[in-house]
Amino acid sequence: MSDVAVAVNDLTKVFPIPFRRSKVVAVRGLNLEVAPGQVYGLLGPNGSGKSTTLKIILGLVSPSAGTTRIFGRDSREVGSREGVGFLPENPYFYKYLTGEETLFFYGKLCGLRGAALRARTRELLTLVRLEAAKDRPLGGYSKGMLQRIGLAQALVQEPKLVVLDEPTAGVDPEGSREIRDLILDLKRRGITVLLSSHLLAHVQEICDRVGILAHGVLVREGRVDELLAIENQTELVLENVNPEVLAQIRRLLENTATRLVEERQPQTTLESLFLAATNGPPSP
Amino acid sequence: MPESKPGRFSLTRIAALAGITFTGLVRLKAFYFLLLFAFLVIGSSVFMAELTFQQEFQILKDVSLGAMSIFTSLLAIVATAQLIPRDLEDRTIYTILAKPVPRYEYLIGKLTGVLLLLALSILAMSALFLGLLFVREQIVVSATLRSSAGLPAAEVEQAVRTLKASAFNANLLPGIVLIYFKAALLAALTLFVSTFASSNIFTIVVMVFAYLIGHLQATARAYWLQEHGAGWLAHALLGFVALVFPDLQLFNLVDDIVAGTAIPLALFARTAVLGCVYTSVYLFFAWVAFHGKEL
Repeated sequence: MSDVAVAVNDLTKVFPIPFRRSKVVAVRGLNLEVAPGQVYGLLGPNGSGKSTTLKIILGLVSPSAGTTRIFGRDSREVGSREGVGFLPENPYFYKYLTGEETLFFYGKLCGLRGAALRARTRELLTLVRLEAAKDRPLGGYSKGMLQRIGLAQALVQEPKLVVLDEPTAGVDPEGSREIRDLILDLKRRGITVLLSSHLLAHVQEICDRVGILAHGVLVREGRVDELLAIENQTELVLENVNPEVLAQIRRLLENTATRLVEERQPQTTLESLFLAATNGPPSP
Repeated sequence: MPESKPGRFSLTRIAALAGITFTGLVRLKAFYFLLLFAFLVIGSSVFMAELTFQQEFQILKDVSLGAMSIFTSLLAIVATAQLIPRDLEDRTIYTILAKPVPRYEYLIGKLTGVLLLLALSILAMSALFLGLLFVREQIVVSATLRSSAGLPAAEVEQAVRTLKASAFNANLLPGIVLIYFKAALLAALTLFVSTFASSNIFTIVVMVFAYLIGHLQATARAYWLQEHGAGWLAHALLGFVALVFPDLQLFNLVDDIVAGTAIPLALFARTAVLGCVYTSVYLFFAWVAFHGKEL
Protein backbone atom coordinates (compact mmCIF):
# COMPACT_ATOMS: atom_id res chain seq x y z
CA MET A 1 0.00 0.00 0.00
CA SER A 2 1.43 3.37 -1.04
CA ASP A 3 1.49 6.24 1.45
CA VAL A 4 0.36 8.57 -1.34
CA ALA A 5 -3.28 8.51 -2.46
CA VAL A 6 -2.70 10.17 -5.83
CA ALA A 7 0.69 10.70 -7.45
CA VAL A 8 1.04 12.60 -10.71
CA ASN A 9 4.54 12.64 -12.21
CA ASP A 10 5.65 14.75 -15.19
CA LEU A 11 2.19 14.44 -16.72
CA THR A 12 1.72 15.87 -20.18
CA LYS A 13 -1.33 15.54 -22.39
CA VAL A 14 -1.38 16.68 -25.99
CA PHE A 15 -4.56 16.54 -28.08
CA PRO A 16 -3.95 16.55 -31.84
CA ILE A 17 -6.49 18.62 -33.80
CA PRO A 18 -8.03 16.46 -36.54
CA PHE A 19 -7.21 17.45 -40.15
CA ARG A 20 -4.70 20.06 -38.94
CA ARG A 21 -1.07 19.87 -38.07
CA SER A 22 -1.47 21.83 -34.84
CA LYS A 23 -1.91 20.35 -31.39
CA VAL A 24 -3.36 21.50 -28.08
CA VAL A 25 -1.28 20.96 -24.97
CA ALA A 26 -3.89 20.45 -22.25
CA VAL A 27 -1.48 19.55 -19.44
CA ARG A 28 2.27 20.23 -19.39
CA GLY A 29 4.77 18.57 -17.03
CA LEU A 30 2.38 18.35 -14.08
CA ASN A 31 3.63 17.01 -10.74
CA LEU A 32 1.45 16.71 -7.67
CA GLU A 33 0.74 14.43 -4.76
CA VAL A 34 -2.36 13.98 -2.63
CA ALA A 35 -1.89 12.46 0.81
CA PRO A 36 -4.41 9.94 2.18
CA GLY A 37 -7.28 11.61 4.02
CA GLN A 38 -6.57 14.98 2.46
CA VAL A 39 -9.05 17.18 0.57
CA TYR A 40 -7.18 18.54 -2.43
CA GLY A 41 -8.61 21.25 -4.67
CA LEU A 42 -7.57 21.67 -8.26
CA LEU A 43 -8.30 25.22 -9.36
CA GLY A 44 -8.01 27.04 -12.63
CA PRO A 45 -9.98 28.83 -15.31
CA ASN A 46 -11.90 26.95 -18.02
CA GLY A 47 -9.52 25.10 -20.33
CA SER A 48 -6.68 25.07 -17.81
CA GLY A 49 -6.47 21.25 -17.82
CA LYS A 50 -8.32 20.38 -14.58
CA SER A 51 -10.84 17.96 -16.07
CA THR A 52 -8.22 16.38 -18.35
CA THR A 53 -5.99 15.76 -15.32
CA LEU A 54 -8.87 14.15 -13.41
CA LYS A 55 -9.78 11.98 -16.43
CA ILE A 56 -6.18 10.79 -16.77
CA ILE A 57 -6.09 9.93 -13.07
CA LEU A 58 -9.28 7.90 -13.60
CA GLY A 59 -7.93 6.11 -16.68
CA LEU A 60 -10.54 7.66 -19.00
CA VAL A 61 -7.86 9.45 -21.03
CA SER A 62 -4.30 8.26 -21.71
CA PRO A 63 -1.34 10.49 -20.87
CA SER A 64 0.97 11.57 -23.70
CA ALA A 65 3.86 11.44 -21.23
CA GLY A 66 4.30 10.87 -17.52
CA THR A 67 2.40 8.69 -15.08
CA THR A 68 -0.49 8.88 -12.64
CA ARG A 69 -0.90 6.48 -9.75
CA ILE A 70 -3.70 5.79 -7.30
CA PHE A 71 -2.48 4.29 -4.04
CA GLY A 72 0.60 3.10 -5.91
CA ARG A 73 -1.22 1.49 -8.84
CA ASP A 74 -0.96 2.80 -12.38
CA SER A 75 -4.20 4.57 -13.35
CA ARG A 76 -4.33 2.66 -16.62
CA GLU A 77 -4.97 -0.58 -14.71
CA VAL A 78 -8.68 -1.26 -14.26
CA GLY A 79 -7.96 -2.55 -10.76
CA SER A 80 -6.63 0.86 -9.69
CA ARG A 81 -10.25 2.10 -9.69
CA GLU A 82 -11.37 -0.52 -7.16
CA GLY A 83 -11.34 2.05 -4.38
CA VAL A 84 -12.25 5.13 -6.39
CA GLY A 85 -15.54 7.00 -6.71
CA PHE A 86 -16.10 9.65 -9.37
CA LEU A 87 -18.70 12.35 -9.90
CA PRO A 88 -18.31 14.11 -13.26
CA GLU A 89 -19.36 17.67 -13.96
CA ASN A 90 -23.13 18.02 -14.65
CA PRO A 91 -23.84 14.29 -14.71
CA TYR A 92 -27.04 12.91 -16.23
CA PHE A 93 -27.70 9.39 -15.09
CA TYR A 94 -30.23 7.03 -16.68
CA LYS A 95 -33.39 9.11 -16.31
CA TYR A 96 -35.74 6.13 -16.30
CA LEU A 97 -34.13 4.60 -13.21
CA THR A 98 -35.22 5.55 -9.70
CA GLY A 99 -32.66 6.74 -7.15
CA GLU A 100 -32.61 3.31 -5.54
CA GLU A 101 -32.26 1.46 -8.88
CA THR A 102 -29.38 3.76 -9.82
CA LEU A 103 -27.47 2.83 -6.68
CA PHE A 104 -28.27 -0.87 -7.24
CA PHE A 105 -26.82 -0.59 -10.75
CA TYR A 106 -23.58 1.09 -9.68
CA GLY A 107 -23.29 -1.25 -6.70
CA LYS A 108 -23.50 -4.27 -9.01
CA LEU A 109 -20.77 -2.77 -11.20
CA CYS A 110 -18.60 -2.72 -8.07
CA GLY A 111 -19.37 -6.36 -7.28
CA LEU A 112 -21.95 -5.79 -4.53
CA ARG A 113 -24.91 -8.14 -4.36
CA GLY A 114 -27.91 -9.20 -2.30
CA ALA A 115 -28.32 -8.01 1.29
CA ALA A 116 -25.00 -6.13 1.28
CA LEU A 117 -26.07 -4.10 -1.75
CA ARG A 118 -29.50 -3.33 -0.29
CA ALA A 119 -27.99 -2.27 3.04
CA ARG A 120 -25.38 -0.05 1.37
CA THR A 121 -28.07 1.54 -0.83
CA ARG A 122 -30.21 2.37 2.22
CA GLU A 123 -27.20 3.80 4.03
CA LEU A 124 -26.26 6.02 1.09
CA LEU A 125 -29.82 7.25 0.50
CA THR A 126 -29.88 8.31 4.14
CA LEU A 127 -26.46 9.95 3.88
CA VAL A 128 -27.48 12.10 0.89
CA ARG A 129 -30.99 12.65 2.30
CA LEU A 130 -32.86 11.10 -0.61
CA GLU A 131 -34.81 8.35 1.21
CA ALA A 132 -38.10 10.09 0.41
CA ALA A 133 -37.24 10.32 -3.29
CA LYS A 134 -35.74 6.84 -3.69
CA ASP A 135 -38.68 5.52 -5.73
CA ARG A 136 -38.86 8.51 -8.08
CA PRO A 137 -37.25 8.32 -11.55
CA LEU A 138 -34.17 10.53 -11.86
CA GLY A 139 -35.91 12.40 -14.70
CA GLY A 140 -37.89 14.19 -11.97
CA TYR A 141 -34.91 15.05 -9.77
CA SER A 142 -33.71 18.63 -9.31
CA LYS A 143 -30.14 19.58 -10.13
CA GLY A 144 -29.12 19.41 -6.46
CA MET A 145 -30.75 15.99 -6.03
CA LEU A 146 -28.91 14.70 -9.11
CA GLN A 147 -25.62 15.88 -7.66
CA ARG A 148 -26.44 14.14 -4.38
CA ILE A 149 -27.40 10.84 -6.04
CA GLY A 150 -24.22 11.27 -8.10
CA LEU A 151 -22.21 11.58 -4.94
CA ALA A 152 -23.98 8.52 -3.52
CA GLN A 153 -23.08 6.41 -6.58
CA ALA A 154 -19.48 7.60 -6.24
CA LEU A 155 -19.47 6.28 -2.65
CA VAL A 156 -21.25 2.99 -3.31
CA GLN A 157 -18.23 0.68 -2.88
CA GLU A 158 -16.86 2.59 0.12
CA PRO A 159 -13.98 4.12 -1.85
CA LYS A 160 -10.75 5.38 -0.34
CA LEU A 161 -10.53 8.15 -2.92
CA VAL A 162 -13.38 10.30 -4.26
CA VAL A 163 -12.82 12.44 -7.34
CA LEU A 164 -15.29 15.28 -7.88
CA ASP A 165 -15.30 17.43 -11.01
CA GLU A 166 -17.07 20.71 -10.28
CA PRO A 167 -19.37 19.10 -7.69
CA THR A 168 -21.38 22.29 -7.10
CA ALA A 169 -21.68 23.49 -10.71
CA GLY A 170 -25.20 24.76 -11.40
CA VAL A 171 -26.43 24.01 -7.86
CA ASP A 172 -28.19 26.67 -5.76
CA PRO A 173 -26.53 27.92 -2.53
CA GLU A 174 -28.47 25.52 -0.32
CA GLY A 175 -27.66 22.50 -2.49
CA SER A 176 -24.11 23.71 -2.72
CA ARG A 177 -23.90 23.90 1.07
CA GLU A 178 -25.25 20.34 1.34
CA ILE A 179 -22.59 19.04 -1.05
CA ARG A 180 -19.95 20.94 0.89
CA ASP A 181 -21.14 19.36 4.14
CA LEU A 182 -21.05 15.92 2.55
CA ILE A 183 -17.45 16.50 1.45
CA LEU A 184 -16.53 17.59 4.97
CA ASP A 185 -18.19 14.42 6.24
CA LEU A 186 -16.02 12.35 3.87
CA LYS A 187 -12.98 14.16 5.22
CA ARG A 188 -14.01 13.29 8.79
CA ARG A 189 -14.25 9.63 7.76
CA GLY A 190 -10.68 9.75 6.42
CA ILE A 191 -11.65 9.49 2.74
CA THR A 192 -9.29 11.26 0.35
CA VAL A 193 -11.06 13.82 -1.85
CA LEU A 194 -9.68 15.31 -5.04
CA LEU A 195 -11.92 17.99 -6.50
CA SER A 196 -11.96 20.72 -9.07
CA SER A 197 -14.13 23.75 -8.55
CA HIS A 198 -14.77 27.32 -9.57
CA LEU A 199 -16.32 28.19 -6.20
CA LEU A 200 -13.21 29.53 -4.54
CA ALA A 201 -14.97 30.28 -1.25
CA HIS A 202 -15.94 26.62 -0.90
CA VAL A 203 -12.51 25.40 -1.87
CA GLN A 204 -10.98 27.70 0.72
CA GLU A 205 -13.38 26.35 3.33
CA ILE A 206 -12.98 22.62 2.71
CA CYS A 207 -9.60 21.98 1.08
CA ASP A 208 -6.41 21.25 2.97
CA ARG A 209 -4.27 21.83 -0.06
CA VAL A 210 -4.80 23.37 -3.49
CA GLY A 211 -3.07 23.45 -6.85
CA ILE A 212 -3.74 26.24 -9.33
CA LEU A 213 -3.52 25.35 -13.01
CA ALA A 214 -3.20 27.86 -15.84
CA HIS A 215 -2.73 26.80 -19.49
CA GLY A 216 -2.00 23.26 -18.34
CA VAL A 217 0.81 24.29 -15.99
CA LEU A 218 0.71 24.13 -12.19
CA VAL A 219 1.45 27.73 -11.24
CA ARG A 220 0.87 27.56 -7.45
CA GLU A 221 0.57 24.66 -5.04
CA GLY A 222 0.48 24.27 -1.28
CA ARG A 223 -1.54 24.32 1.93
CA VAL A 224 -4.51 26.70 1.73
CA ASP A 225 -3.63 28.59 4.95
CA GLU A 226 -0.02 29.04 3.79
CA LEU A 227 -0.96 30.23 0.33
CA LEU A 228 -3.53 32.72 1.61
CA ALA A 229 -1.47 34.14 4.47
CA ILE A 230 -0.09 37.66 3.96
CA GLU A 231 3.19 37.10 5.68
CA ASN A 232 3.88 40.65 6.89
CA GLN A 233 0.40 41.27 8.31
CA THR A 234 -1.44 40.11 11.46
CA GLU A 235 -5.19 40.25 11.98
CA LEU A 236 -6.78 40.89 15.40
CA VAL A 237 -10.50 40.32 15.87
CA LEU A 238 -11.77 41.96 19.07
CA GLU A 239 -15.14 41.46 20.70
CA ASN A 240 -16.93 44.07 22.91
CA VAL A 241 -14.12 46.55 22.42
CA ASN A 242 -14.82 50.12 23.53
CA PRO A 243 -13.52 53.28 21.73
CA GLU A 244 -11.05 54.00 24.53
CA VAL A 245 -9.26 50.69 24.11
CA LEU A 246 -9.12 51.24 20.36
CA ALA A 247 -7.64 54.68 20.87
CA GLN A 248 -4.98 53.18 23.16
CA ILE A 249 -4.07 50.60 20.56
CA ARG A 250 -3.76 53.30 17.89
CA ARG A 251 -1.54 55.41 20.19
CA LEU A 252 0.60 52.38 20.96
CA LEU A 253 1.20 51.86 17.27
CA GLU A 254 2.10 55.50 16.57
CA ASN A 255 5.64 55.22 17.92
CA THR A 256 6.50 51.92 16.18
CA ALA A 257 7.25 50.83 12.61
CA THR A 258 3.87 49.04 12.56
CA ARG A 259 1.23 50.52 10.26
CA LEU A 260 -2.50 50.06 10.84
CA VAL A 261 -3.68 48.96 7.40
CA GLU A 262 -7.42 48.63 7.99
CA GLU A 263 -9.98 48.86 10.74
CA ARG A 264 -13.39 47.37 10.04
CA GLN A 265 -16.22 45.25 11.39
CA PRO A 266 -16.05 41.55 10.38
CA GLN A 267 -18.83 40.58 7.99
CA THR A 268 -20.83 37.45 7.44
CA THR A 269 -20.77 35.88 3.98
CA LEU A 270 -23.47 36.48 1.39
CA GLU A 271 -24.07 32.71 1.39
CA SER A 272 -24.75 32.64 5.15
CA LEU A 273 -27.06 35.62 4.80
CA PHE A 274 -28.92 33.92 1.92
CA LEU A 275 -29.29 30.65 3.81
CA ALA A 276 -30.47 32.39 6.96
CA ALA A 277 -33.02 34.40 4.96
CA THR A 278 -34.33 31.32 3.13
CA ASN A 279 -34.41 29.13 6.30
CA GLY A 280 -31.47 27.06 5.17
CA PRO A 281 -29.26 25.12 7.55
CA PRO A 282 -27.34 27.36 9.94
CA SER A 283 -23.76 28.18 9.23
CA PRO A 284 -21.41 26.00 11.31
CA MET B 1 -17.12 -5.56 0.49
CA PRO B 2 -17.27 -6.29 -3.26
CA GLU B 3 -17.71 -9.97 -4.03
CA SER B 4 -16.12 -10.04 -7.50
CA LYS B 5 -12.56 -9.02 -8.22
CA PRO B 6 -12.16 -5.88 -10.30
CA GLY B 7 -10.57 -6.26 -13.70
CA ARG B 8 -11.55 -9.93 -13.94
CA PHE B 9 -14.33 -11.05 -16.24
CA SER B 10 -17.57 -10.64 -14.32
CA LEU B 11 -20.92 -11.94 -15.49
CA THR B 12 -22.61 -9.88 -12.74
CA ARG B 13 -21.28 -6.64 -14.19
CA ILE B 14 -22.19 -7.70 -17.74
CA ALA B 15 -25.69 -8.66 -16.57
CA ALA B 16 -26.07 -5.26 -14.86
CA LEU B 17 -24.98 -3.43 -18.01
CA ALA B 18 -27.15 -5.62 -20.25
CA GLY B 19 -30.16 -5.10 -17.99
CA ILE B 20 -29.77 -1.34 -17.96
CA THR B 21 -29.31 -1.24 -21.75
CA PHE B 22 -32.35 -3.43 -22.35
CA THR B 23 -34.49 -1.34 -19.98
CA GLY B 24 -33.41 1.85 -21.74
CA LEU B 25 -34.10 0.45 -25.20
CA VAL B 26 -37.59 -0.86 -24.47
CA ARG B 27 -38.49 2.68 -23.39
CA LEU B 28 -37.44 4.11 -26.75
CA LYS B 29 -40.29 5.34 -28.91
CA ALA B 30 -38.44 4.08 -32.02
CA PHE B 31 -38.74 0.52 -30.68
CA TYR B 32 -42.53 0.71 -30.47
CA PHE B 33 -42.83 2.43 -33.86
CA LEU B 34 -40.76 -0.27 -35.53
CA LEU B 35 -42.64 -3.03 -33.74
CA LEU B 36 -45.95 -1.44 -34.68
CA PHE B 37 -44.93 -1.19 -38.34
CA ALA B 38 -43.80 -4.80 -38.28
CA PHE B 39 -47.12 -5.87 -36.74
CA LEU B 40 -49.04 -3.86 -39.34
CA VAL B 41 -47.15 -5.44 -42.23
CA ILE B 42 -47.47 -8.95 -40.79
CA GLY B 43 -51.15 -8.35 -40.01
CA SER B 44 -51.88 -6.91 -43.45
CA SER B 45 -50.38 -9.99 -45.10
CA VAL B 46 -53.62 -11.78 -44.18
CA PHE B 47 -55.57 -9.43 -46.42
CA MET B 48 -53.00 -9.73 -49.21
CA ALA B 49 -53.28 -13.46 -48.91
CA GLU B 50 -57.02 -13.34 -49.41
CA LEU B 51 -56.51 -11.58 -52.72
CA THR B 52 -54.63 -14.54 -54.18
CA PHE B 53 -56.45 -17.54 -52.84
CA GLN B 54 -54.23 -20.28 -54.34
CA GLN B 55 -50.97 -19.29 -52.71
CA GLU B 56 -52.30 -17.56 -49.63
CA PHE B 57 -50.02 -19.32 -47.16
CA GLN B 58 -46.96 -18.69 -49.32
CA ILE B 59 -47.76 -14.98 -49.50
CA LEU B 60 -48.44 -14.82 -45.78
CA LYS B 61 -45.11 -16.47 -45.00
CA ASP B 62 -43.22 -14.47 -47.62
CA VAL B 63 -44.51 -11.08 -46.42
CA SER B 64 -44.28 -11.91 -42.72
CA LEU B 65 -40.77 -13.36 -42.74
CA GLY B 66 -39.60 -10.51 -45.01
CA ALA B 67 -41.08 -7.95 -42.59
CA MET B 68 -39.49 -9.72 -39.62
CA SER B 69 -36.12 -9.71 -41.35
CA ILE B 70 -36.24 -6.02 -42.35
CA PHE B 71 -37.64 -4.68 -39.07
CA THR B 72 -35.33 -6.76 -36.88
CA SER B 73 -32.32 -5.59 -38.93
CA LEU B 74 -33.50 -1.97 -38.75
CA LEU B 75 -34.07 -2.25 -35.01
CA ALA B 76 -30.59 -3.75 -34.51
CA ILE B 77 -29.02 -0.78 -36.31
CA VAL B 78 -31.15 2.01 -34.81
CA ALA B 79 -31.00 0.67 -31.25
CA THR B 80 -27.24 0.04 -31.25
CA ALA B 81 -26.21 3.24 -33.04
CA GLN B 82 -27.24 5.51 -30.18
CA LEU B 83 -25.88 3.53 -27.22
CA ILE B 84 -22.31 4.85 -26.94
CA PRO B 85 -23.01 8.42 -28.24
CA ARG B 86 -25.81 8.84 -25.70
CA ASP B 87 -23.69 7.58 -22.79
CA LEU B 88 -20.94 9.97 -23.88
CA GLU B 89 -23.31 12.90 -24.24
CA ASP B 90 -24.91 12.29 -20.82
CA ARG B 91 -21.50 11.55 -19.24
CA THR B 92 -22.88 8.32 -17.77
CA ILE B 93 -20.00 6.51 -19.48
CA TYR B 94 -17.59 8.33 -17.14
CA THR B 95 -19.38 7.13 -14.04
CA ILE B 96 -19.44 3.55 -15.39
CA LEU B 97 -15.85 3.32 -16.61
CA ALA B 98 -14.52 5.15 -13.53
CA LYS B 99 -15.68 2.04 -11.64
CA PRO B 100 -13.53 -1.10 -11.93
CA VAL B 101 -15.27 -2.04 -15.19
CA PRO B 102 -13.06 -3.20 -18.10
CA ARG B 103 -14.09 -1.62 -21.39
CA TYR B 104 -14.71 -4.98 -23.04
CA GLU B 105 -17.31 -5.75 -20.37
CA TYR B 106 -19.01 -2.45 -21.11
CA LEU B 107 -19.22 -3.38 -24.83
CA ILE B 108 -20.37 -6.94 -24.15
CA GLY B 109 -23.02 -5.63 -21.74
CA LYS B 110 -24.30 -3.12 -24.27
CA LEU B 111 -24.45 -5.71 -27.07
CA THR B 112 -26.14 -8.24 -24.80
CA GLY B 113 -28.81 -5.66 -23.98
CA VAL B 114 -29.49 -5.16 -27.69
CA LEU B 115 -29.56 -8.92 -28.29
CA LEU B 116 -32.18 -9.27 -25.55
CA LEU B 117 -34.26 -6.55 -27.20
CA LEU B 118 -33.95 -8.27 -30.58
CA ALA B 119 -34.95 -11.60 -29.01
CA LEU B 120 -38.02 -9.99 -27.45
CA SER B 121 -38.97 -8.34 -30.75
CA ILE B 122 -38.55 -11.47 -32.82
CA LEU B 123 -40.51 -13.48 -30.26
CA ALA B 124 -43.37 -10.97 -30.40
CA MET B 125 -43.35 -10.90 -34.20
CA SER B 126 -43.11 -14.70 -34.41
CA ALA B 127 -46.05 -15.07 -32.01
CA LEU B 128 -48.16 -12.79 -34.20
CA PHE B 129 -47.04 -14.46 -37.42
CA LEU B 130 -47.55 -18.02 -36.20
CA GLY B 131 -50.85 -17.05 -34.58
CA LEU B 132 -52.12 -15.59 -37.86
CA LEU B 133 -50.87 -18.63 -39.76
CA PHE B 134 -52.72 -20.90 -37.37
CA VAL B 135 -55.96 -18.91 -37.59
CA ARG B 136 -55.80 -18.81 -41.40
CA GLU B 137 -55.06 -22.54 -41.46
CA GLN B 138 -58.12 -23.27 -39.29
CA ILE B 139 -60.34 -21.08 -41.49
CA VAL B 140 -59.14 -22.69 -44.74
CA VAL B 141 -59.38 -26.21 -43.27
CA SER B 142 -62.99 -25.53 -42.14
CA ALA B 143 -63.85 -24.17 -45.58
CA THR B 144 -62.24 -27.19 -47.24
CA LEU B 145 -64.15 -29.58 -44.99
CA ARG B 146 -67.42 -27.80 -45.78
CA SER B 147 -66.80 -27.87 -49.52
CA SER B 148 -65.68 -31.51 -49.42
CA ALA B 149 -68.91 -32.84 -47.96
CA GLY B 150 -69.79 -36.12 -49.62
CA LEU B 151 -66.22 -36.88 -50.81
CA PRO B 152 -64.46 -40.05 -49.58
CA ALA B 153 -62.91 -39.67 -46.12
CA ALA B 154 -59.40 -40.60 -47.32
CA GLU B 155 -59.51 -37.91 -50.00
CA VAL B 156 -60.64 -35.26 -47.50
CA GLU B 157 -57.97 -36.31 -45.04
CA GLN B 158 -55.30 -36.04 -47.74
CA ALA B 159 -56.53 -32.55 -48.72
CA VAL B 160 -56.41 -31.36 -45.09
CA ARG B 161 -52.92 -32.86 -44.59
CA THR B 162 -51.64 -31.06 -47.70
CA LEU B 163 -53.17 -27.81 -46.49
CA LYS B 164 -51.60 -28.09 -43.06
CA ALA B 165 -48.20 -28.93 -44.51
CA SER B 166 -48.25 -25.84 -46.70
CA ALA B 167 -49.31 -23.64 -43.77
CA PHE B 168 -46.92 -24.58 -40.99
CA ASN B 169 -43.74 -26.58 -41.43
CA ALA B 170 -40.70 -27.09 -39.27
CA ASN B 171 -38.53 -25.00 -41.63
CA LEU B 172 -40.11 -21.82 -40.31
CA LEU B 173 -38.24 -22.04 -37.01
CA PRO B 174 -34.65 -22.26 -38.35
CA GLY B 175 -35.59 -19.49 -40.79
CA ILE B 176 -36.65 -17.25 -37.89
CA VAL B 177 -33.52 -18.15 -35.89
CA LEU B 178 -31.33 -17.15 -38.85
CA ILE B 179 -33.13 -13.79 -39.06
CA TYR B 180 -32.10 -13.30 -35.44
CA PHE B 181 -28.47 -14.20 -36.18
CA LYS B 182 -28.41 -11.70 -39.03
CA ALA B 183 -29.74 -8.96 -36.74
CA ALA B 184 -27.16 -9.89 -34.07
CA LEU B 185 -24.38 -9.59 -36.64
CA LEU B 186 -25.68 -6.17 -37.74
CA ALA B 187 -25.89 -5.02 -34.10
CA ALA B 188 -22.25 -6.00 -33.50
CA LEU B 189 -21.14 -4.24 -36.71
CA THR B 190 -23.13 -1.13 -35.68
CA LEU B 191 -21.46 -1.20 -32.25
CA PHE B 192 -18.06 -1.32 -33.95
CA VAL B 193 -18.90 1.62 -36.24
CA SER B 194 -20.30 3.63 -33.31
CA THR B 195 -16.99 3.34 -31.41
CA PHE B 196 -15.32 5.70 -33.89
CA ALA B 197 -18.29 7.49 -35.49
CA SER B 198 -18.80 11.17 -34.76
CA SER B 199 -22.61 10.85 -34.43
CA ASN B 200 -25.32 8.20 -34.44
CA ILE B 201 -26.66 9.56 -37.76
CA PHE B 202 -23.25 8.83 -39.31
CA THR B 203 -23.38 5.31 -37.85
CA ILE B 204 -26.86 4.69 -39.24
CA VAL B 205 -25.88 5.97 -42.73
CA VAL B 206 -22.75 3.77 -42.77
CA MET B 207 -24.83 0.80 -41.63
CA VAL B 208 -27.48 1.32 -44.32
CA PHE B 209 -24.69 1.14 -46.91
CA ALA B 210 -23.21 -1.93 -45.19
CA TYR B 211 -26.66 -3.54 -45.21
CA LEU B 212 -27.11 -2.88 -48.93
CA ILE B 213 -23.59 -4.04 -49.79
CA GLY B 214 -24.12 -7.13 -47.64
CA HIS B 215 -27.26 -8.04 -49.55
CA LEU B 216 -26.02 -7.20 -53.05
CA GLN B 217 -22.38 -8.26 -52.93
CA ALA B 218 -22.93 -11.92 -53.86
CA THR B 219 -24.96 -10.99 -56.95
CA ALA B 220 -22.53 -8.21 -57.87
CA ARG B 221 -19.55 -10.56 -57.46
CA ALA B 222 -21.11 -13.22 -59.67
CA TYR B 223 -21.97 -10.63 -62.32
CA TRP B 224 -18.48 -9.08 -62.25
CA LEU B 225 -16.70 -12.43 -62.59
CA GLN B 226 -19.02 -13.43 -65.41
CA GLU B 227 -18.53 -10.19 -67.33
CA HIS B 228 -14.89 -9.37 -66.64
CA GLY B 229 -13.26 -12.71 -66.02
CA ALA B 230 -11.37 -13.62 -62.91
CA GLY B 231 -8.06 -11.78 -62.71
CA TRP B 232 -6.09 -12.06 -59.48
CA LEU B 233 -6.72 -8.39 -58.68
CA ALA B 234 -10.47 -8.76 -59.12
CA HIS B 235 -10.41 -11.91 -57.00
CA ALA B 236 -8.41 -10.17 -54.27
CA LEU B 237 -10.66 -7.12 -54.25
CA LEU B 238 -13.88 -9.14 -54.26
CA GLY B 239 -12.44 -11.44 -51.62
CA PHE B 240 -11.64 -8.45 -49.43
CA VAL B 241 -15.16 -7.04 -49.82
CA ALA B 242 -16.61 -10.48 -49.04
CA LEU B 243 -14.46 -10.71 -45.93
CA VAL B 244 -15.26 -7.27 -44.54
CA PHE B 245 -18.96 -7.22 -45.42
CA PRO B 246 -20.81 -10.41 -44.60
CA ASP B 247 -22.93 -11.93 -47.34
CA LEU B 248 -26.30 -11.20 -45.74
CA GLN B 249 -28.10 -13.15 -48.47
CA LEU B 250 -26.77 -16.30 -46.82
CA PHE B 251 -29.12 -15.60 -43.91
CA ASN B 252 -32.08 -15.15 -46.22
CA LEU B 253 -33.79 -18.53 -46.47
CA VAL B 254 -37.28 -17.10 -46.90
CA ASP B 255 -37.53 -18.24 -50.52
CA ASP B 256 -36.69 -21.83 -49.56
CA ILE B 257 -39.13 -21.75 -46.65
CA VAL B 258 -41.94 -20.33 -48.78
CA ALA B 259 -41.28 -22.88 -51.50
CA GLY B 260 -41.47 -25.58 -48.81
CA THR B 261 -37.91 -26.77 -49.45
CA ALA B 262 -36.39 -28.42 -46.41
CA ILE B 263 -33.44 -26.55 -44.91
CA PRO B 264 -30.62 -29.03 -44.38
CA LEU B 265 -29.31 -29.10 -40.83
CA ALA B 266 -25.75 -28.61 -42.10
CA LEU B 267 -26.75 -25.41 -43.96
CA PHE B 268 -28.54 -24.07 -40.88
CA ALA B 269 -25.59 -24.90 -38.59
CA ARG B 270 -23.06 -23.41 -41.03
CA THR B 271 -25.05 -20.17 -41.37
CA ALA B 272 -25.59 -19.93 -37.61
CA VAL B 273 -21.87 -20.44 -36.92
CA LEU B 274 -21.04 -17.84 -39.58
CA GLY B 275 -23.38 -15.38 -37.83
CA CYS B 276 -21.76 -16.06 -34.45
CA VAL B 277 -18.24 -15.73 -35.87
CA TYR B 278 -19.01 -12.41 -37.58
CA THR B 279 -20.72 -11.11 -34.41
CA SER B 280 -17.68 -12.06 -32.30
CA VAL B 281 -15.20 -10.60 -34.80
CA TYR B 282 -17.07 -7.28 -34.99
CA LEU B 283 -17.27 -7.19 -31.19
CA PHE B 284 -13.51 -7.74 -31.06
CA PHE B 285 -12.98 -4.90 -33.59
CA ALA B 286 -15.22 -2.70 -31.44
CA TRP B 287 -13.00 -3.42 -28.43
CA VAL B 288 -9.82 -2.69 -30.44
CA ALA B 289 -11.28 0.71 -31.44
CA PHE B 290 -12.75 1.44 -27.99
CA HIS B 291 -10.13 0.26 -25.49
CA GLY B 292 -7.82 3.21 -26.11
CA LYS B 293 -10.51 5.76 -26.97
CA GLU B 294 -10.12 9.14 -25.27
CA LEU B 295 -13.36 9.78 -23.41
